[in-house]
Amino acid sequence: MNSNINFNELWAKQKTGEPNKEDLLSKINKFKKSNLKRLIITNLLLIITSLFIIFIWVYYQPQMITTKIGIILTILAMVIFVIAYNQSFALFRKTTNTQSNSEYLKNLIDIKAKQRFMQTTMLNLYFVLLSTGIGLYMYEYTQLMTAFWGIFAYGITSIWILFNWFYLRPKQIKKQQTKLDEIIGKFEMLNEQLNEKK
Amino acid sequence: MVFEDIYKAYWQKIFRLCMGYINDYDLAQDMAQETFIIVWQQLPKFRNEANISTWIFRIASNKCLRQIEKQNRFLKAELPINLKQEKEENIEPQIQFLYKCISELPETDRIIISLELENIKQSEIAIIVGLSEVNIRVKIHRIKEKLTQKFKENEQ
Repeated sequence: MNSNINFNELWAKQKTGEPNKEDLLSKINKFKKSNLKRLIITNLLLIITSLFIIFIWVYYQPQMITTKIGIILTILAMVIFVIAYNQSFALFRKTTNTQSNSEYLKNLIDIKAKQRFMQTTMLNLYFVLLSTGIGLYMYEYTQLMTAFWGIFAYGITSIWILFNWFYLRPKQIKKQQTKLDEIIGKFEMLNEQLNEKK
Repeated sequence: MVFEDIYKAYWQKIFRLCMGYINDYDLAQDMAQETFIIVWQQLPKFRNEANISTWIFRIASNKCLRQIEKQNRFLKAELPINLKQEKEENIEPQIQFLYKCISELPETDRIIISLELENIKQSEIAIIVGLSEVNIRVKIHRIKEKLTQKFKENEQ
């Protein structure tokens, strides 16, 4: 029996076709474009919505301070959301893939933990700001209604907000966290392999 | 250094590293390509203070480690069609078996043994992985033993 198998030789025999450079370059371009597209789309959405709200402000000239505060809070909610969204991508852009495996893994675990925190906190903040903003914004216009319709309008809005807070928000947070926890767990398992002091 | 030269010099090596890690021909090609996309992006930042081979293998092995995130929800990226024709032709069963065995090792061991089989100095492997040289030597010894044993069992 041959106990001295030449692994190196066997290893080197695995060959693959070299994709031609054009293929790789087109892939690089596609990659660049898709990243840029994603960034533009999210930010564009924020800008359009904010412009729309500012347009309402200018066009309808709200009289009460509550309306103005409401508008500001709503915009703030969206700004914070998009900033958080952009930042969670920026975290990855800043990691250097040129670190050693063990440093890289530790870094990834850190980032994922940060992302986990950011997503939860930011999502909560977003909901609170948005709900308060809408509540304040409505005040001026419900003043013009009869008591019945005023209560009705606030009632509907509150139900919608409560539904968001108690159903959609926890669901969203849970979904993100399960995903992140799973990934963090996997990275920790990999890191563990390197920590073994054998 | 020019990207094309690096690409020529390292394509096969990086592919083998990915192949040892994942033992899936198409996926390994994708991972190797993605590695070169990162290399291409980071190349302007490369300073000659580090060894280019260390630098590239770090990028590639980190790419492999990130693969774990994608498992279960991996969507196959588009591959140039002309590549698939060359797929796994005339591969000796022994070669296949070696790659299969390696891909069944713990993730970090796969990287260490792949680098060793690529004839990278153990001191360099230590820098790539971020462990001490002694540690690497012990690990390589153990992995080789494991592989030899698996080959023997396979022969019987």
